[in-house]
Amino acid sequence: MDFAKGLRVSSSALTANRLRMNTISSNIANVNTTRTPEGGPYRRKDVIFEAMPETKNFGEILTSQPDRNVQRVQVTDIHVDRGAPIFKYEPNHPDANESGYVAYPNVNLMEEMTNMIQATRAYEANVSAMTATKDMAAKALEIGR
Amino acid sequence: MSELFGKTTDALGAAIQFRLLKQNIASANIANAETPGYKAKKLDFEEALSRAIDIHGLGKMNTAHPEHFPVNGNGISKVRADVYDNPDITITNDGNTVDLEREMAELAENSIIYNAAIQLINKKLAGMAYAVSEGGGR
Repeated sequence: MDFAKGLRVSSSALTANRLRMNTISSNIANVNTTRTPEGGPYRRKDVIFEAMPETKNFGEILTSQPDRNVQRVQVTDIHVDRGAPIFKYEPNHPDANESGYVAYPNVNLMEEMTNMIQATRAYEANVSAMTATKDMAAKALEIGR
Repeated sequence: MSELFGKTTDALGAAIQFRLLKQNIASANIANAETPGYKAKKLDFEEALSRAIDIHGLGKMNTAHPEHFPVNGNGISKVRADVYDNPDITITNDGNTVDLEREMAELAENSIIYNAAIQLINKKLAGMAYAVSEGGGR
């Protein structure tokens, strides 16, 4: 009887989707940012999800085969999109190059919005899964009442 | 234990355990609904459990001779669930085979049947408590 495992798996997905949401927010917030610490315009970022076997602790990893059937999700990398920036002709802009073009971030608002909806839905689905598991655990405590 | 509580409680206990496993697997599928390359898992135990509790009465045939080993009937604790990559998949570009809607439906169905099993156990125990207290007349 391991309710905690299901809850941990669902919560890992909540964490991952929260991070994804933050990344999308960052992309949208910086849609017009032309200066960054690394130099050049902002570059859009993308989270990379990876499935990992869910294990409780080091002992479990040491003594048993990891459970390949119940896997949590983890953000293993935040990928920086190296696509070309969008050039706009704005000769009076302080960041314009010698031919008068300003490099704007390679962020497509439409794309970010759809990603945001997708992340929201994924988050909601995992909250539902978590609630269902939690209710089941509560029901199990009622046996023999 | 089996004498007092009978096959019902054992079978329901096993069912609850497998429902929980199924819940975990559905949760993992939902958690990985957008992980590239993740393959949706599926769990089957109904067949194995029905064989163990001998729903179709085939067990008697297997032990027609007294020296035959009993194949069915007492193997509920030995039932193993069968977990495999779901072959009934939707193809996506990133190799992920999770169908979110189906997993959500699976989750809902699973918790309903789980609750039903819990309720049945409770009824069974209540019935026994009733008998123990001589029909409730204290």
